[in-house]
Amino acid sequence: MNEWVRVASVDEVVEGEAFASERKGEAIALYREGDDIYAIGDVCPHETVRLSEGWLENGLIECPLHQSCFEIRTGKVIEGGAAYEDVACYEVKVEGGSVYVGEGRRP
Amino acid sequence: MPQSKQDKNIERSWPKEGVIRVPAWIYSDPDIYARELETFHYGDTWNYVGLDCEIEPGGYKRSWVGERPVLVTRTEDGEIHVMENRCAHRGAMLCWKNSGKAKDITCPYHHWAYNLGGDLMGLPFLRGAGGKGGMPRDFDKSKHGLTKLRVARRGGSIWATYSDDVPPLDDYLGPEILERLDRLVSRRPLRLVGYSRQIVDSNWKLYWENSRDPYHATLMHPFLSTFGILRTDGDYDSVPLQEGRHEYTFSRYNPELRNSTSEASRQIKSIRSDLEMRDKEVVNSVVDEFQDGMMGAFQVFPTILVQQYFNCLVIRHIILKGPGKHELTWTYFGYADDDEQVRELRLKQSNLVGPAGFVSLEDSEMLALMQPVVESRPDAEQVIEMGGHGTEAQSTMMTENLIRAFYDFYRREMGL
Ligand code: FES
Ligand code: FES
Ligand SMILES: [Fe+2]
Repeated sequence: MNEWVRVASVDEVVEGEAFASERKGEAIALYREGDDIYAIGDVCPHETVRLSEGWLENGLIECPLHQSCFEIRTGKVIEGGAAYEDVACYEVKVEGGSVYVGEGRRP
Repeated sequence: MPQSKQDKNIERSWPKEGVIRVPAWIYSDPDIYARELETFHYGDTWNYVGLDCEIEPGGYKRSWVGERPVLVTRTEDGEIHVMENRCAHRGAMLCWKNSGKAKDITCPYHHWAYNLGGDLMGLPFLRGAGGKGGMPRDFDKSKHGLTKLRVARRGGSIWATYSDDVPPLDDYLGPEILERLDRLVSRRPLRLVGYSRQIVDSNWKLYWENSRDPYHATLMHPFLSTFGILRTDGDYDSVPLQEGRHEYTFSRYNPELRNSTSEASRQIKSIRSDLEMRDKEVVNSVVDEFQDGMMGAFQVFPTILVQQYFNCLVIRHIILKGPGKHELTWTYFGYADDDEQVRELRLKQSNLVGPAGFVSLEDSEMLALMQPVVESRPDAEQVIEMGGHGTEAQSTMMTENLIRAFYDFYRREMGL
């Protein structure tokens, strides 16, 4: 059963910036591209650090420690960096000015 | 090292007699030492760094080339890499564990992270923090990997070089060393038995000479002559190789000699009939694994002495630590398919060699006592005339031909 959890209000998630939040104890980050909002796991699988502290460019979030890159739409890792596992990707819905995310899964 | 006035005035030229004399200043002069490192260890040589059985895929071991710490790594695909154990950022030592498993190598100082191939994967705060600081936009991570050395392997042995000009490893070793190396490390997969490590407070060349010096063996190591392992009346060959760089010596082990007293062995005082070895397995090869009745050792310039004593197989690795000091790492090995009996035997016989070995403990002690004396008279000369003046191979232990052959090579390379 997919449980929706409120994680942000819509205007907290702005283009060009990561919004760090959490869903039932799991660190996640929200990203906006136009009208779409994405949610992916926020802990780098290489060493434990929050990806949302990193650099956001061209649909990729770059880990602040060793620059592994992840697609903000899917959580997929870009190969060749220090990390070689994806982060989870969450289903997102917007309702009444709030952002809700469902169960996470690997792409 | 402070130099006295008198010291400075010594003429730095080789004695006119040639290789039958060695000037004592080469054992302490810091300039000579620095030139040796550049010419030899960091120059056109292959340096031994380890055995493949020491490193699993996804693992590493520490080693040294000259004075420089290196890492020998094996990536998951089985490939072996050798790189400096020195962070490309500001020179921190990356790793001080002797061996282990690792996915990648992270510097403890600012956490720059490298993969097992030595490439820089990333560094913290490349983009700064909060929009401030960070590396310049044009900083190219691919140009800041660890310094990599060229690697060559022969059987289970691993070698590294800084040189682009050194001949391929097989040519560098030459056919005689190859034959002897293959006999020990190429026929069966290797197994690590263990290590001993010791610091020897002497110039590395004193040790290098010592293992080219069969003359001292029966005199300074009473164990050898007392128990008949190596006697002056047995068959013995002292053979310099590759213009004096390398050498091998070997003897045939003859258990009968223990009971006979020939003229030559009567001259050695240390043969005592009142001593008996409790456990003769230490010196009796119960497993004739090479089927050739030989025991021997060989040196590969400038790093190792490889030795077989019965079923004890060991590599002595000489690691330089300054003009008056070196480290000796003893790596004992066997074969992956050794049975229980042979495993037991290799362990037992490893008592023969090492820092406290029955036939090696006197060497490092002697050299440590010798170094300050040699340093105190840099103007003096060593006398190397045993076995004549030549540098060719000889079939006797009563010779210093291997030392002369080495200095013949050394003088050419060092321009002395
Ligand atoms: S912690 Fe993210 S790449 Fe190393
Ligand atoms: S010295 Fe290694 S990261 Fe700075
Ligand atoms: Fe010795």
